[in-house]
Amino acid sequence: MANPAAEPQSVEDVQGDGRWMSLHNSFLHDAKEKEPEVVLIGDSLIAQMTQSRLWEQMFEPLHCLNFGIGGDRTQHILWRIHNGELDQIEPKVIVLLAGTNNFDDSAEQVTEGILAIVKLIRDKQPSSHLIVVGLLPRGEKPNHLREKHCEINKRLAEELKGAPMTSFLKIDEKEFMSSEGVIRRSIMYDFLHLTSDIGYQKLCDPLLEEIQNVLGIFMKVESTALETASLAGDLDHSPSN
Amino acid sequence: MVLSQRQKDELNKAIADYLYSNGFQGALEHFQKEAGMPQELEKKFSGLLEKRWTSVIRLQKKVMDLETKLQEAEEEVNSGAPTRDRRTPSEWIPRPPERYSLNGHRSPITRVVFHPVFNLMVSCSEDATIRVWDYETGDYERTLKGHTDSVQDVAFDSAGKFLVSCSADLSIKIWDFNGYECIKTMMGHDHNVSSVTFMPSGDFVVSSSRDKTIKMWEVATGYCVKTYTGHRDWVRMVRVYQDGSLLASCSNDQTVRVWVTATKECKAELREHEHVVECIAWAPDSAQPAINDAAGTESKSAKRSGPFLLSGSRDKTIKMWDVSVGICLFTLAGHDNWIRGIVFHPGGKFILSASDDKTIRVWDIQNKRNHKTLIAHPHFVTSIDMHRNAPYVITGSVDQSVKVWECR
Repeated sequence: MANPAAEPQSVEDVQGDGRWMSLHNSFLHDAKEKEPEVVLIGDSLIAQMTQSRLWEQMFEPLHCLNFGIGGDRTQHILWRIHNGELDQIEPKVIVLLAGTNNFDDSAEQVTEGILAIVKLIRDKQPSSHLIVVGLLPRGEKPNHLREKHCEINKRLAEELKGAPMTSFLKIDEKEFMSSEGVIRRSIMYDFLHLTSDIGYQKLCDPLLEEIQNVLGIFMKVESTALETASLAGDLDHSPSN
Repeated sequence: MVLSQRQKDELNKAIADYLYSNGFQGALEHFQKEAGMPQELEKKFSGLLEKRWTSVIRLQKKVMDLETKLQEAEEEVNSGAPTRDRRTPSEWIPRPPERYSLNGHRSPITRVVFHPVFNLMVSCSEDATIRVWDYETGDYERTLKGHTDSVQDVAFDSAGKFLVSCSADLSIKIWDFNGYECIKTMMGHDHNVSSVTFMPSGDFVVSSSRDKTIKMWEVATGYCVKTYTGHRDWVRMVRVYQDGSLLASCSNDQTVRVWVTATKECKAELREHEHVVECIAWAPDSAQPAINDAAGTESKSAKRSGPFLLSGSRDKTIKMWDVSVGICLFTLAGHDNWIRGIVFHPGGKFILSASDDKTIRVWDIQNKRNHKTLIAHPHFVTSIDMHRNAPYVITGSVDQSVKVWECR
């Protein structure tokens, strides 16, 4: 039986405005014109990173492109890469985060889907370093999807161990939840997507560290500590320049 | 330092929350008991201790940054805020804040250049347009439309009668700068045309492309008359030596090459950069004394006479080359990101550079030193030009703005 998560598939335009294909074409144009050193590809968790202040502070100076599309399953990302998104660039680092939208596929199927993307990226970009980010927890309270994500992450860690030019970045899921395993809305506003400051910091700090390790540089970025709303009164919000 | 009762209560609550959320249950119970606190935790103290903890470091850094800035500002005041009449034109350098910040382009700016005669400057952008501005008044003059993709470079002939532009649409266009009409479109490159410039005579233009070649075009006929091949990758920029006898180019292949214009022979291949070389500039004669001082020529008789060429790279360094012998004389390091634009100060004592670290920097050639740094734009600075006679510098950025800086 074929595994739908590991077969390239474009997204059906059910709403009728063609946004998914427009985004894909826009990414193809960027790939042709820009010369990114880092490319992030994935679903909404990647896409919404650009809306966070951390993107401007931490990622933009590294010459990053963001090829995230909300709602994408592994098979859709597979299709996009098959259809040219990584063809015209020579990034030093590629970051992949996908799988949470394959909610009705088994852990086995999702793992295979992610590994299929890994293999395709390796074929297209043999000299880039690939960072596969482990799936994040979801749902306010412990549930079967969280368990499935743990299972997928365990499988990915095993499968990717020792793979050349590839690293698996697992962010401790405790980072996102309280000691009772409850996810706070201050970190994931809808118990799935990260909030633009506190939430993304949990993902971006370790990710940036890994990228910089791979690039062998320490890029000067503005302090990543947060100016949270509760501190707004203490802090000067004007940009340092 | 003594805390008020209210502050103490808040601190205790924040500590209690910290103990709670980190699972130090035993300590929490003891603490609550000893501090005489109620059992339940208030939600608004959630994560407060951590926030304060990080904010202290952040504020310390901010204080240090502000103190540095204050010190710089005080130095300028104490040494007499430089005014133009108290300094010679060769000492004039751009000073913050900018005189104008001009908006209008709808995509990142790719190049800014001064008109050689009029009070005009020109910017080009990934929005496929070229815009003309008055740098003295900050007025927008007009838009030149015709290209169908990102415009990569623009240049004037020596009299400023014609403007040449090149684009990712593979074409090179010549514009009559009196009527602002496109009078010629030249096609021949097989890929994105990255840079273009006039020969000193104005009869020919040279262009460089992602197709790895450099081409020379006759303005009168629009024909391609020469092709220079040798680069192994995208050629980013081409610039003509003052007398027209040499061309210099730089490339994604990490080299700088110098070509004999007439014979198409590659006279020198300069390899020392460790990443894409983005930009180059020939040194004017006025810079020779400073370059000789910087190169530390031992005996006075062995003075170098160049030609000297400057290159800026994604490896964050600027290098000065003696083209006659093909060696690097010195390297300037200091930018924290890709270098995108370099220009010589007409006085010959300074170099100005623009970078993706969002700054422009003034370099003292003789002492090989970063003389001044200006935080210029909130995004990558892609291009810089300095006027040959008037005290102005212009910059363009990915933030889509063009800025005019007055020099003092």
